[in-house]
Amino acid sequence: MLVLSVAVASAVLSLGMSLPGVTERLYLHTRAATAGPDVVALAPDDSPVATSALTSLVDAPGVAATSRPYKQFWATLTPRGRPEVRVVVLGVDRKPGPIDRPLMVSGEWVSPGGVVVEKGFATAVDLRVGDQVAIAGRSYPIVGIGVTAARMAYPGAMMGGPGNGPSDRAGLVWMNEPDTRALAASDLPRTSIIYLRMHDPAATSKYMISYHETRNSAGGFVGDSFVNSFTWQFIANEDGRHLRDSQPIMIIGGWLLSFLAVAGMSTLAAGRAAGQVRRVGLLKVIGATPGLIAVVLLTEYLILAVLADALGLVVAHVLAPSIINPSGSLLADGAGLSGMVILMTTIVAVGVAILTVLGPAVRAVRSDAVTTLSAGSRRPEYLVMLSRVAALLPTPLLLGLRLIARRPGRAVLHLCGTAATAIGLTVLLMVESQPEQGWDFGGVVLADLANDQSRHLLMGVSAALIALSVVNTLTMTWTTAMESRATMAIARTLGATPGQITWGLSVAQLLPTLPGALAGIPAGLFLNWFFGPPDPPEMHTEWLFLVPLVLMLGTALLTALPARALARRSVAETLNAETA
Amino acid sequence: MNVLQVRGLAKRHGQKQSLVRAVDGVDLDVPAGQTLAVMGPSGCGKSTLLHLLGGLERPSDGEVWLAGERIDTASERALARLRRRSVGFVFQAFHLVEELSAAENVELPVLLAGSSPRQARRRARLLLEQVGLADRARHLPWKLSGGERQRVAVARALANEPLVVLADEPTGNLDTAATNEVLRLFAHLRAEGQTLVMVTHDGRVAATADRLISMRDGMFVEDTWLAS
Ligand SMILES: Nc1ncnc2c1ncn2[C@@H]1O[C@H](COP(=O)(O)OP(=O)(O)OP(=O)(O)O)[C@@H](O)[C@H]1O
Ligand SMILES: [Mg+2]
Repeated sequence: MLVLSVAVASAVLSLGMSLPGVTERLYLHTRAATAGPDVVALAPDDSPVATSALTSLVDAPGVAATSRPYKQFWATLTPRGRPEVRVVVLGVDRKPGPIDRPLMVSGEWVSPGGVVVEKGFATAVDLRVGDQVAIAGRSYPIVGIGVTAARMAYPGAMMGGPGNGPSDRAGLVWMNEPDTRALAASDLPRTSIIYLRMHDPAATSKYMISYHETRNSAGGFVGDSFVNSFTWQFIANEDGRHLRDSQPIMIIGGWLLSFLAVAGMSTLAAGRAAGQVRRVGLLKVIGATPGLIAVVLLTEYLILAVLADALGLVVAHVLAPSIINPSGSLLADGAGLSGMVILMTTIVAVGVAILTVLGPAVRAVRSDAVTTLSAGSRRPEYLVMLSRVAALLPTPLLLGLRLIARRPGRAVLHLCGTAATAIGLTVLLMVESQPEQGWDFGGVVLADLANDQSRHLLMGVSAALIALSVVNTLTMTWTTAMESRATMAIARTLGATPGQITWGLSVAQLLPTLPGALAGIPAGLFLNWFFGPPDPPEMHTEWLFLVPLVLMLGTALLTALPARALARRSVAETLNAETA
Repeated sequence: MNVLQVRGLAKRHGQKQSLVRAVDGVDLDVPAGQTLAVMGPSGCGKSTLLHLLGGLERPSDGEVWLAGERIDTASERALARLRRRSVGFVFQAFHLVEELSAAENVELPVLLAGSSPRQARRRARLLLEQVGLADRARHLPWKLSGGERQRVAVARALANEPLVVLADEPTGNLDTAATNEVLRLFAHLRAEGQTLVMVTHDGRVAATADRLISMRDGMFVEDTWLAS
């Protein structure tokens, strides 16, 4: 279970930590593989004025070379038997020029009568090589699927919409130039486009400032034509944007999960401490130094934690491409977990292990050999039984509460663990109660990918949180039940019924659950407010009341199992075992 | 009147070759106010007998009547109520709740029996005074000596004025001085007419009883009434 918890936590954490900049890295990778342009410039129509404005850019500051001007048309594409979607058709040469050489992931580059579609678009609309599609009323076979760095990842905005008007989200289709004549003859909106290569790709701002007001993208007059320019930095930044929402989910989720892992594991370790303390006593008797003993105790957990960390990293590595490159518009093979991320999660995992054994180890090492061998060896965690005894009856509650103050460790752990779960549930509820946003792609409504992705991640993280807290609750109750079996047996010799024992154990877990659940809600609301959409839509607050209810019920059910098991054990046998 | 009545009581563990007859068909009547000592070699079934008398274990055969109520067939709930009101246990290993102070240990059965915390506190103070530990009321068990712990356990056993106190080797873990403290306490109980069944190895403890039963292999081999 240590392995499982730590693995889940480090997977989420490492994903969260590898998100910053990773899409930009993918973009760079794609850019290198496809000879991506440094600047993309567009002019509003296909007039000679527009074309000459674009070609004149070869003399602009910092520009080393340009492609030839291309024309693109805003049309619709109709897959066979499905509704039409908006596309941009770019007329290209059969042999790509030196700037922007789309990489074919399947099929071949354009041929007379055959078109190539962009990979992210193809994935979203489910287009394959060999499919027959109608573009502006004419039928073409898809001969290839390609990747380019000259556009923002689908479904990001297509640059320079019709007439340089508002940009429009559309899929990219490459078509052999001669085939575009039919489009040119129609009255479809169109733009001219040219790719620029700079002397120094990093120094695009000099060019931008000379023609435009801002550094990255904007419009300005070049000669007699209005020209819009987009730098590669701008494109990279846009591509990374949809991930910025996911990052807090992953990082905060990762920390919450790590916390749950610590809580669960330290409970488990505490449960095993009795045995360990006895073992330590024996080691001391035969002359082991405290340092050696600490090492002995730590080693086991360290090995497990590092194993789990490795497992989590592998999972993260497998999941990463689908999270950082959801539309598939970029080449994913550049994505890897950086050494920094691996180091960080390993530190966290090792931290979990150390925290896990710290308490038992210190206690074991500190106490002297004789006490560890004798009475001390059977003294369990206080709080646990205190609450247990407290919960036997309403009256013993008074007695027990007095004692909770003596050792609140586990109650606090349980409280915080429940709070973590409540945070996850609250945020999930908040997000689920928001209307799903979608984009109308000229007939096909696609969910907003960035938003959709955040939802999925949130679902995943919440599911992991819930799973871990189930594991934790079981661990805690079981450990508690095991530790308190002597106390419970004694209580039964004093006349406590099995039912009271069961309730006592359950209530002991429930006591910290309630404040935990209640504390988690405002925390979740805060996180949602902090990282969520700027103006949250109507929320169903009444659902939030379900959070503590569900958590309480769940905890009660989960604790009933081990509690009942304990209550059913024979008193005489338990007492005999305790004295043995 | 007999506080305890036992007929054909038997407890077996295991089967076939591994069958153990821990208690093998005993009859016993314990009149009210009697102090009964059960002696015998290790493993002869003394603890088992005591557990059966207090309803901590269920017999394989036979009947146990406590104050005219049959307990071997009683439900677990009924047994709990019975232990709460009618039986007080004292164990060799003390079995105090480690997390509770001496006073709280004594209060616990009083609270379980449904008294108010105030009544429980008053009762605990009185009993701890009786066993001479009024000044140790707030100590946790591990701070007490063995003899003190056992006296707390005796006070706890007496908390609800039980019909019978069942003591399993109450001095087994104690040195001579501590044994004497506990014996003095038992003598006091006897004088007050408390019914007491104790299991012991120790001849000095047995000598304080009204009646002495010797056990061997789960059976009574001798039943002597001492001077009363
Ligand atoms: N749960 C059990 N399963 C199998 N055998 C058992 C069990 N409990 C007790 N016994 C056996 O029953 C017999 C009587 O045990 P009991 O504990 O009553 O002896 P005792 O007279 O109290 O011994 P001691 O003086 O050592 O405490 C022993 O042989 C013991 O091994
Ligand atoms: Mg015994």
